[in-house]
Amino acid sequence: MIELLSNPWMFITIAVGLFMAWAIGANDAANSMSTAVGAGAITPKQAVLIAGVLEFIGAYLFGKSVTETVRKGIIDASQISDPNVIVYGSIAALLAASLWLLFASKFGLPVSTTHSIIGGIVGYGIAYAGTSIVNWSKMAQVVASWVLSPLFGAVVAFVIIKLVSKTILQQKNPIESAKKWAPVWIGLAFVVIGSMFHIKVMHGNSLLIALSRYGVTAGIGAFLISYALLKRNFQATDPYWGAEAIFRKVQVLTSAYVALSHGANDVANAIGPVAAVYAVATMGLTGMKVPVPRWILAMGGLGIAIGVATYGYKVMETVGKKITELTNTRGFSIDFSAATVVLIASWLGLPISTTHTVVGAVIGVGLARGVKAINKDIVKDIIISWFVTVPVAAILAGIMFKILMIVG
Amino acid sequence: MQVWTKLFAKSPFKPLIKHAEVVLETVETLERALEAWENGDYENMRKYAKKVDDLEDFADKIKEEIRDSLSSKLFMPVDREDILRYLQRQDKIADAAENTAKWLLVRDPNDIPEEIKHEVKDLVIKMSQESIKAAKLVYDAIVQMDTVIESGFGEKEIEEEYRLIKEIGSVEHKIDELDTKFMEIIFKNSSKMDWGLGMYLLNIAKTLSGISDMAKDAAERIRLMMNK
Repeated sequence: MIELLSNPWMFITIAVGLFMAWAIGANDAANSMSTAVGAGAITPKQAVLIAGVLEFIGAYLFGKSVTETVRKGIIDASQISDPNVIVYGSIAALLAASLWLLFASKFGLPVSTTHSIIGGIVGYGIAYAGTSIVNWSKMAQVVASWVLSPLFGAVVAFVIIKLVSKTILQQKNPIESAKKWAPVWIGLAFVVIGSMFHIKVMHGNSLLIALSRYGVTAGIGAFLISYALLKRNFQATDPYWGAEAIFRKVQVLTSAYVALSHGANDVANAIGPVAAVYAVATMGLTGMKVPVPRWILAMGGLGIAIGVATYGYKVMETVGKKITELTNTRGFSIDFSAATVVLIASWLGLPISTTHTVVGAVIGVGLARGVKAINKDIVKDIIISWFVTVPVAAILAGIMFKILMIVG
Repeated sequence: MQVWTKLFAKSPFKPLIKHAEVVLETVETLERALEAWENGDYENMRKYAKKVDDLEDFADKIKEEIRDSLSSKLFMPVDREDILRYLQRQDKIADAAENTAKWLLVRDPNDIPEEIKHEVKDLVIKMSQESIKAAKLVYDAIVQMDTVIESGFGEKEIEEEYRLIKEIGSVEHKIDELDTKFMEIIFKNSSKMDWGLGMYLLNIAKTLSGISDMAKDAAERIRLMMNK
């Protein structure tokens, strides 16, 4: 480790990797926690604490111990024979992605961290070997996800909010229906969370095992617990307030889960390139996949947690103050829909971005007349920012890579 | 700035309810002015009538604020046009109350003929009580509209909303009857008073029934909000 840090390029890579992890925490903290904070399920302080701790645990304990040097195999690493290219390229990609994320956070655009790093890698790949190095079918999937994620998110959220309304809010006696139906919804949410835990956090790859072993168990457990709790002590005079109170507690759990799974998955965006450079520094070469030492995972988790604590806190505070119109049932519907879409997408192998799905879900709930007011202009800005993420990160990374090649 | 804070815009319903509160207060203040008028306490009557005027101004300010904040960039469960039209109607309830207050300030009617004095005053107070009821129902109706949206347009809540709208209609009908009765009394006894007093009394009754007319219009607008 000491001799590693004395290697200047390794040192720079770690520094830039930390910067990227920080930017991921800063940019994504709001996305995972915003509905919970906005609906008043948790305070901004609690959100930062939950997100920080769980992102770190997710990254450190559940991050993949073998990581791709090139995220999603977006370029063909076997065409790179010069190890220096991996080093300079990784640094350029990380730097470009973090700068773009920083810019997006500043202007409040929920861009995908995965797409940012993909853009960075494509950028140095093209700068090095031209467009033939890019895996265009993978690239097409990324482009498809810009359309698919929000679309699926919107459709599922539309259906879910309608069903939640029909089964609880629109009944003759919302409190009685909430007692009956809320456990069903909570149970279903936990089927998804349990299955996702297996796939996303433990990196299992069979949906069947995920569903049967984890999903159903968690779902039935959650159903029974919530059913018992609601039967025993639930007093509310106002039916809507009563239904909200139930979902408020559920939202804490769903947002906690989102933070954990985000840490487990997105830490790879920061440490993949770091691991690639590490492999070059220790073994002198690199393939498509390299083992990641635990301290690099810890570093990534720490970086994300710091990002959440420093920049994320500010974001949460604004979210808590500004989104007062979001109710807990709607917040729950948004989270639940997003998680379901991501689960189904991982099973079908569709490239879905969580960030984009959540935004789609918000719009879906709006279309179902479930959100009191959505700002159309902002939706436009968001969509534009998704489309420019890859090209901007790519151009930035390409320029930096060229400079590094000359300097280094 | 963060996207999540900009994505969700402020709902116009809380300010609409706030506006309805001010409108209701305007009508309630008018009732106090009319009670003072009934007791011949003209000093207090003038004080309250002027307050009606101030409250109406305040309602106007809130109305303008809501108008400015409801840009066409918002995507809402209820049409922006419908909300703005409703707001205009709701504001007219306060305007109608101010009209009555204006007539009250024109003269101090110590000269109502003794034999109809009691009946005339009694009717005016009845009408003002009904007007309050109408304004209060409008307030309830807009609060209920918020609940309708809260429930995702649940049938039960929509039914309740229709019940309120219907009730506003029946209050309006009741005031019209009182107004007709009032006019009959005035014309029957027209030989006993000068034209000025007659005009004064008729206009008080007319403007009072105007309050409930406006309440009914507002209620009709709520109905339109629900049938999208």
